[in-house]
Amino acid sequence: MSKFEDSKVVPGEAVGTVAAQSIGEPGTQMVLRSFHSAGISSVITTKGLPRIIEIVDARKKPKAPVMEIRLEKGIEKKYEKVREIWRMVEEVMTSSLISSFDEDLKAGTLVLHLEKEKMAFYEITGKTVASKLSKKEGVEVSQIDSETIKIKYMGKTTQATRTAFVNILNSPVIGIRGIIKASIQQADDSSFYITTSGSNMEEVMKIEGVDKWHLYSNDIFEVLKVYGIEAARNLIAHELSDVIAEEGFTVSFRHIALVADAMTHTGGIRSVGRHGVAGEKESVFARAAYEETVKHFTNASVFGERDTLKGVAENILIGKQIGLGTGRIKLAVKKDDLKKIKPKKGD
Amino acid sequence: MAKEKSERRYQVYLDGRSIGYVRNGRNFVEEIRRNRRAGVISGEINVAIIRKLNEIHINADRGRARKPYIIVENGASKFSAELLEKLRNKEIDYNYLVRRGVIEYLDAEEEENIRVALEEKLIDKDTTHLEIDPATFYGFTFSSNVFQEFNTVGRHPISGNFIKQGQGLYAINFNNRYDARAYLLYYPQMPIVNSSAYRTLKMNRHSSGQNFVVALSTYFGYNMKDALVLNRAAVDRGLGRSVFFRTYTDEERRYPGGQQDHFKVPPATTEGYLGEHAYSKLSEDGIIEPELEIKEGEVLIGKVSPPRFLEEQTSFGVGEEKSRDNSATLRTGEEGTIDNVLISESLGATKIVKVRVRNIKVPEVGDKFASRHGQKGVVSLVVPPEDMPFTKDGIVPDLLLNPLSLPSRMTFGHMMETLAAKAGSIGGTQFDGTMFSGKGREKVDMYGDILKKHGFERFGDEALYDGRTGKKYDATIFTGVVYFNRLLHMVSTKMIVRSRGPVQILTHQPTEGKPRRGGLKFGEMERDALVGYGASLLLKDRMLEQSDKADIWICRECGDVGYFDHIKNVPVCPLDAGNNLEKVEISYAFKLLLDEIKSLHILPRVRMRSE
Repeated sequence: MSKFEDSKVVPGEAVGTVAAQSIGEPGTQMVLRSFHSAGISSVITTKGLPRIIEIVDARKKPKAPVMEIRLEKGIEKKYEKVREIWRMVEEVMTSSLISSFDEDLKAGTLVLHLEKEKMAFYEITGKTVASKLSKKEGVEVSQIDSETIKIKYMGKTTQATRTAFVNILNSPVIGIRGIIKASIQQADDSSFYITTSGSNMEEVMKIEGVDKWHLYSNDIFEVLKVYGIEAARNLIAHELSDVIAEEGFTVSFRHIALVADAMTHTGGIRSVGRHGVAGEKESVFARAAYEETVKHFTNASVFGERDTLKGVAENILIGKQIGLGTGRIKLAVKKDDLKKIKPKKGD
Repeated sequence: MAKEKSERRYQVYLDGRSIGYVRNGRNFVEEIRRNRRAGVISGEINVAIIRKLNEIHINADRGRARKPYIIVENGASKFSAELLEKLRNKEIDYNYLVRRGVIEYLDAEEEENIRVALEEKLIDKDTTHLEIDPATFYGFTFSSNVFQEFNTVGRHPISGNFIKQGQGLYAINFNNRYDARAYLLYYPQMPIVNSSAYRTLKMNRHSSGQNFVVALSTYFGYNMKDALVLNRAAVDRGLGRSVFFRTYTDEERRYPGGQQDHFKVPPATTEGYLGEHAYSKLSEDGIIEPELEIKEGEVLIGKVSPPRFLEEQTSFGVGEEKSRDNSATLRTGEEGTIDNVLISESLGATKIVKVRVRNIKVPEVGDKFASRHGQKGVVSLVVPPEDMPFTKDGIVPDLLLNPLSLPSRMTFGHMMETLAAKAGSIGGTQFDGTMFSGKGREKVDMYGDILKKHGFERFGDEALYDGRTGKKYDATIFTGVVYFNRLLHMVSTKMIVRSRGPVQILTHQPTEGKPRRGGLKFGEMERDALVGYGASLLLKDRMLEQSDKADIWICRECGDVGYFDHIKNVPVCPLDAGNNLEKVEISYAFKLLLDEIKSLHILPRVRMRSE
């Protein structure tokens, strides 16, 4: 308990400034360059400073969304079961299963030549493909054999037919939308898990055998949508801390958590900067001191805003003692009030 | 079909412009080269074939850097022993070789097509050219340096930069020159170790350094982190001593309307008169005399100019014409002696005066020195000779260099030079340190033999004795001679102090920069550091008390900024003309901000509450 008391931040400590300095300093040393490590790992993620900027700016779509799918107890160590789930995850397009195709736009026929090796790799039969394609409106599928599929579609114009064919080639046969690639990895405790590039939590959760409690995605807005703001806050904090740790810097987690809290405490995700945390400050002067000075002053005059001059930036501007650190301490009782207190009888 | 065709033919560019296509690119290029070597076409034409792009680039324009190579044909250098003999006997010259197609000049593009052998014995069947000398693949500036092949690549440009900044004998006619700024070393020396390019350029006539006796030793931590310890005896004898010249130029300008400047001692009635003392050294013509000592703020050239604006008519009619002081004063923070005065006439037949001020700069703590290997340092201590370490022969080093400055930078050239120059100074010879002119091991052996012959250690180390106690150091110390440059960064030209001083008119904040006696900037990051630490009063001291503190009157009624009427002795609010104002202590920058907001047609109002 005494350790807890000792660890508490002193009143008046400039936690925000110190957090900004603690994260900003290693940021200056990081290279503004994303490394794309080629090799065994099939999943490419954004790392280093670009990723930090991505998180802090609260970009709607991350450059490289990534998921980690853990599996429920019981099947996690059975490779066959894991592989079954893996087949359901990765999105496979028609075009990636064929070696070539012949089209006749006048007759409205499209002949797909399936590639054996690829079909075997994804454990797909020609029938699956055919049945998937036949669900499309106006598409007539007449399977010839296991290696070729013949499709008939007549559009109103030749161009419409052509568009339909392109759509057929780019239509998914199996898997979940948005998941470009998935691969099976083995953890230290010999259990299997699936990593993906591309993220779609909602759909992955529906698959039976997926551990919903340990589903991980680095897409902050998707986590916000699926799991809520607390999860998003934790994700921001952990993603930041992971990236910084990966670059070989040590930053106390509390600084990072403060940034995550500042970004999420309103219930939504705000970026750090003009359109978010800094742009929503209460003080007109503090906002004007940051960016778009004239805009803030003109708006303030239109709405008749009032600046209470409580913040740090405002007090430095007018030359008053700031309300932080040693300036935090004030007398609770006014000097004049002290005189009014009369000693009790007998004291 | 189209693809096949483009593969076969080459697009030909002349000076970057496409001029057509050729079928057999290789033969086409070979023919141009053959003709060039034979002298049929100009030797300034270069041609390059780029097979990746199916392009042939012919360049004959100006501005290409080109480099000579000896042509190799059929596995044999065209520069035969016979030609060498003739060249030695001066029967032929270099230009003969160029004319006869023995040596040709290639530009950067054509160099991509060739295969160069560094030495004659390395020629194989694919070789097309032979390097004249390995040292030539660097430019003149680099080649004039020594032992650069022993240094890491990163040190080469650094050393080049330092040599550029070295003070030396920049021009022989310096005494007749009036350069705006000039640095002149008192006793420039020729380096004991130099290179062929250095001699070819006749750099030894313009040397910019001196041979220092350097011991690789610490001195009570005074030479940590690239600091240098100098021997005061050496400094007193003139080591690194230099003189700094600055020329002040002024002209009697003519203005439209028949007015003009006049060189004279300004009368006390002139506008901007600097006080009698400032003009005390001027002679009758308003110009200072040579060999007078002068201090900061004193006038060198007295000049009176007509007023900037046309005068208003006074009630007494046309009065005496007012004039403005426009004299040239010595720069702030400088002092010196008047070296020479030049009075001349400009092309526009106006009088021109140039005054050269000289100031002797003795090496002192804070001055910068560098060797030719990117090893720079700042003098941290000038030690009396009796406290310096000395060798058994009584030699006291001029400079103590920290040994730790060598391993991490890997400047082995510095050590090679130390050894070579030591051997040279003892043997009384100069040594050649041209790049790639020999194997390091053989050179070390050669220098070692000379040192051994004269009773020194082979590898240049010596037993040193502590000057303070007379005791021998436990370790032997690597001591030798290194050519050092005194760089033009000197404390005396940079040092500045200020407690109070001028402020800017607009913001009432302290000025910036040395010429304006400015303060040091307390920037945003510094501010954040104090905020982060929570030192609120120190922050207020920096941002307000030591900066632009101002007493501003603010109206209690309307919140607008007012002023104090000193005649009526009451504060006034210009907005409601009332006198109910409060004096507040705020930064002047805030008042300026309020004014600027007003200029946006926004009226800010300040509401106050007593604390």
